Amino acid sequence: MVLFKFIPILLAVIGCPLFIVIAAIALISFYGAGIDISVVIIEMSRLADTPLLLALPLFIFAGSILSESNTPQRLLNLSRLLLGWMPGGLAMVALLICAIFTAFTGASGVTIFAMGGLLMPAMLKDNYSEKFSLGLITSSGSIGLLFPPSLPLILFGVIAETRIDQLFLAGLIPGLLMLTIISIYCMKKSPPKENKPIDKSEIIKGLREAAWELPLPFLVLGGIYGGFFVVGEAAAVTVLYALIVEVVIYKDISWQRLPGLMVHSMMLFGGILIILGASMASTNFLVDMEIPTRIFEFIHQYVNNKYTFLLLLNVFLLIIGSMLDIFSALVLVVPLIVPIAKSYDINLIHLGIIFLTNLQIGYCTPPVGLNLFLASYRFEQPIIKLYRATLPFLGLLLLTLALITYCPQLSLWLVQK
Amino acid sequence: MSLQFLDKGSRWLRLLEDGLLCLLLTAIIIIACSQIILRTTMGTGFLWSEPLIRQLVLWVGMMGAVVATREGKHIAIDIASYLAPNKVQTWLELVINLCSILVTGALTAAAIIFTSSEMTYGGTSLLMPAWIWSLIFPLGFALITLHFTGDLLKIIAGLARGGK
Repeated sequence: MVLFKFIPILLAVIGCPLFIVIAAIALISFYGAGIDISVVIIEMSRLADTPLLLALPLFIFAGSILSESNTPQRLLNLSRLLLGWMPGGLAMVALLICAIFTAFTGASGVTIFAMGGLLMPAMLKDNYSEKFSLGLITSSGSIGLLFPPSLPLILFGVIAETRIDQLFLAGLIPGLLMLTIISIYCMKKSPPKENKPIDKSEIIKGLREAAWELPLPFLVLGGIYGGFFVVGEAAAVTVLYALIVEVVIYKDISWQRLPGLMVHSMMLFGGILIILGASMASTNFLVDMEIPTRIFEFIHQYVNNKYTFLLLLNVFLLIIGSMLDIFSALVLVVPLIVPIAKSYDINLIHLGIIFLTNLQIGYCTPPVGLNLFLASYRFEQPIIKLYRATLPFLGLLLLTLALITYCPQLSLWLVQK
Repeated sequence: MSLQFLDKGSRWLRLLEDGLLCLLLTAIIIIACSQIILRTTMGTGFLWSEPLIRQLVLWVGMMGAVVATREGKHIAIDIASYLAPNKVQTWLELVINLCSILVTGALTAAAIIFTSSEMTYGGTSLLMPAWIWSLIFPLGFALITLHFTGDLLKIIAGLARGGK
C-alpha cells in the first residue's frame, strides 16, 4: 500500500498530467480505506455548488480576447507617450503593461510570450542593457497577480472560501508597493537619455486610439465596489465589453476566429477545473485523516510563534512556486495550509496575499522557475544567463515579500476601512 | 481502410467537442449578461439562472479538460521533457499514457456508479432528473480515456515503425 502511494509521485516527476497524479492518490486512498471509489466523483460534483467558479472561465476568455487583439500594442504606445520621457520611463512602461496584462490573463506565460516580443526590442533600442531588459521582462512576467481581476486570486478565494472582493482590495497596496520598489531600481539603472519634448498631439492621438480599452479596469472595479454586480457578473460584463470593443468596434478579431479562441480558453479552464476537481477528493481524504491537524501539532512543537511560522511558510511556498504552476500549487496547498494558518491566528485575506506573492516570486526562482524557462525559450538565451539577469529583481521581490508578510496592515488596511 | 475510418471518426469527434464547448460558453455568457440586464432594468431575474450557470460551468470545464487531453495540454511538471533525451522521452510517454488510461478508466467506472445511483436515488433539479446533469462525468471521463488510448496507439505505432 505504501509503495502504491509513491508511484503517483514518481509519475508526477516524469511529467504525468497533475490531475492524473492527484486522482490516482484519491482513488488509491479511498480504495485502500475500503470506501467506494464513486466518492471521488461525489466530491467532484460539489464543484457545481461553488458560485464563484463562474468568474474563472469568463475572465480567461476575456483575457484571451484582449491578448489576441491589438490591445497590447495600443497600450504600449500610449504608456510610452505618457511615461517615456522619465528616466527609466520605458522600463516602467514595461512593468506597468506586464502588470495589467498579467492581472487580466493570469501568469500563464502569455505575458512573456505576447509582451516580450514587443518590449524587448523597444528596450534594447532605448539603450537598456540586454541583461537588465531580460531580467526585467522575465521577472515582470508574473507581476500583477495581486491586482484584480487576477485569476489566481479568484482561485484562492474559491478554495479558501474567503470573499474575493476583499482579496482584490487587499492586493492593491502590496501590488503597488512592489511596482514602486522595482520602478525606483529601474530609474537608477536607466541609461542617460536625450530630452525629447513631449508632443501633446501625439498623446491625444494615443488616448483616442485606446479610448475604448481604458474604461475596462474601471468598469470591472467600479462595478464590483459600487455594488452593481458580484465578481462572476463582473466577469460576464468584461467578456461582453471585450467582445464589443475588439470584434465590433476595432475589428481586431474577426467573427470566424471567435470559436477557436473559445475552444482555446475553455481548454485552459478545463485544465484548471479538472485539477481542482481531483484535488477536492484527495484533500478531503487528507482532512478526514486529520493530516492538517497533525502537521500543525508537529510544527507547533518547534514553532509557537506566528512570525516564525510565516517565515517557514515563505520558504516552503517559494520552493513550491518554483516547481508547480500557480493554479496547481494553489489547489494542492491552500486546503492544507488554511486550517494550520487559522490555528496560528493568521488572517485568511492576508494569507492569500502572502500566498500569491510567494508563488509569483517562485516563478522566477532558479533552478526551475517557469518564467526562466519561458524567457529562455522566447528570447533564445541560455537559462544560466537568465538566472544571473533576474537575480537583482529577485532580491527586490524578496524584500517586498518580507514587507508584505510582516506588515499585515499593508494588505488589511483597505479591507478594514 | 480502417485507419481512414478512424481518421474520419476523430475529425467528427473533434468537431463535436469543439462545437459543444462553444455552445456551452455562449450560453453561459448570454444567460449571465441577460440576468444583469433584467435585474438593472426591471428589477427581476430568473431564479433558475444561477444554478443552471453553475452546472454549465462544470460542463464547459469537463469538456475543456477533454479537449486539453486531445491537444496534450494538461498541466504537468515538465522538467523531464527538458532533460531527458528523445528516445527516453518516448518511453516515458508510453508509461505516462498507460497510467493515465488506468486512472481515467477507474474514474469513468466511478462516474458510472455515481450516475446510476443518482438515477435511483437522485431527485430532480432544474426541471430535469438530477442524473442528467451528472452525465457529464461519465461522458467526460470516457472521452478523456478515449483520447489517452488514441495517443497510446500512436506511440506504439511510432515505436513499431522505429524498431523496423
